[in-house]
Amino acid sequence: MEHHFQQLYDVMSQVQGYIYPNEIDLNWSILIVLYPYITGLVAGAFILASLERVFKVKVLKPTYTLALLTALAFLLTATMPLINHLGKPFRAYEIMTTPHATSAMAIFGFVYLWYLMVVILLEIWFDYRKDMVVWAHQTTGWKSRLYKILTLGSYDISPKAVAFDEKIGYIITIIGIPSAFLLHGYVGFIFGSVKANPWWSTVLMPVIFLFSAMVSGIALVMFVYMIVSKIRKVKADMNCLDAIAKYLFYILILDFVLEALDQIHRIYVAEESFEIISLLIQGKLYITLIIMQVLLGTLVPLVTLAFLQFKKPTDKIRHTIYLVISMLILVGIFFMRWNVVIGGQLFSKSFYGFTSFKIGLIGTEGYLMASVWIIVPLLILAFLLWLLPPWKKSEELAETVTI
Amino acid sequence: MPQQIRRLLVAFAVFIALFLVLRYVMIPTSFGEYGHYRGRSLEDNAAKPLQFTGNSSCIKCHKSIVEEKSRGHHAGLACETCHGPALKHVTYADTLPHAKLPDSLLLDKPAERKNCALCHNRNMARIKFRNDTVNISMIKQVDVMKHNLVDKNNESLKCIDCHFPHDPY
Repeated sequence: MEHHFQQLYDVMSQVQGYIYPNEIDLNWSILIVLYPYITGLVAGAFILASLERVFKVKVLKPTYTLALLTALAFLLTATMPLINHLGKPFRAYEIMTTPHATSAMAIFGFVYLWYLMVVILLEIWFDYRKDMVVWAHQTTGWKSRLYKILTLGSYDISPKAVAFDEKIGYIITIIGIPSAFLLHGYVGFIFGSVKANPWWSTVLMPVIFLFSAMVSGIALVMFVYMIVSKIRKVKADMNCLDAIAKYLFYILILDFVLEALDQIHRIYVAEESFEIISLLIQGKLYITLIIMQVLLGTLVPLVTLAFLQFKKPTDKIRHTIYLVISMLILVGIFFMRWNVVIGGQLFSKSFYGFTSFKIGLIGTEGYLMASVWIIVPLLILAFLLWLLPPWKKSEELAETVTI
Repeated sequence: MPQQIRRLLVAFAVFIALFLVLRYVMIPTSFGEYGHYRGRSLEDNAAKPLQFTGNSSCIKCHKSIVEEKSRGHHAGLACETCHGPALKHVTYADTLPHAKLPDSLLLDKPAERKNCALCHNRNMARIKFRNDTVNISMIKQVDVMKHNLVDKNNESLKCIDCHFPHDPY
């Protein structure tokens, strides 16, 4: 009791102005920041992959499979911060077994499952089926057995069967694009439909989330591609990186314009919440929004990428620039999620006060736990790259091998 | 139908069948009986042992105190808010009206600053003003970490040394 009382006393001293009692604590902390962040990375990575597959941007070929595996690795982790935050992992399945038709979250369960089972897993399966059959033949022991299980016993790698795989993969990608939009648009929808919160409640929210997702996903694949090339001690394909940077530039412009439009609209209509929101932006969100999200996460990459559209420095300099830019964008989009999730809870619905938020190092909602959910998908990705290395996919070998 | 599609259909059929079986096994039988929840949970909650008894039980033995309280600012508070759950205490007294209560059944007499502070500590989130003036009908707030900590002789003061809790002023 003494402890709780002391805690309450400490908290109260950090509150400014007049807030409602239920606004003392922030219920949605860093784990809820990570959830839209990771989901966005999935959607963005998939959309980059679809550029190669559907829109025939052949120069992006080196990153196609990598983008799919990255999307899978992050998709497998996307719900973990949520389950971690809710703290009842053994009840998590109930969202699927007894979904409530009016619950947006329950519908997300099915959107997620659709995206995982019907889009990502199927596309990767069709893309790798031929290679898995070959690898099952080339390897021995448990690894060979694992590949055989993964092929589901479908060993036919005749040119006809492979062509069929290709065709189905193409159709899945076409289905996958609106599915990716749905997956991440939904996350924005959840925030956008909180009518009581003027910082969230805008119809632009799903669209903004979607575009920022594309930006972050593309930046992630760019970053992972450079790091994986470095680890494999091979030179990253600069044409591919240039093409990714070009698409990143275009989508970053769209994303920036949409977010600016949202803010300009707020300024123009200047609803009753405007004053508190402008105080929020100038005060508590100054570092994370103005410095991290807008300046470092958007303007610096935007200006640099624009410069690279006209001037081409040497490969080495461009490589370094891409590495830095991709990291800046990844950090910038993280802070975009932060500003939405945390920012929306910092001001009171009374519009007269602010609450404080300080994040701890340990505990369920601490930095360490959050970093676990950033590291886990990278470990899954490392495993996937070991099991299904895109650089070992062979085109010609497949036709000669039979099992 | 190509072989790979056949295999996939089997895999999906197995997955869906597994999901349906799990769904059948996992959903409690009383789910949906009254609404979108487990119907038996009502019985489970109703079966939990009672702890509180309500003001009407207190008046049987502590009439003068209850009457005193009913005149003051704390009239709206239940006795058990400060003194804790009293069902065992009352049941014992009802069963053995003239026996002395064992120590374990005596109720709390909260006297520390922290107890009063649960409601009266200065709290920015609790409304004090209405139409820009201090509203006296609201719960009084003080900074209990600072408000009159010691008396003239430098002895530490409790809230109840000055404010009588059953009829505070």
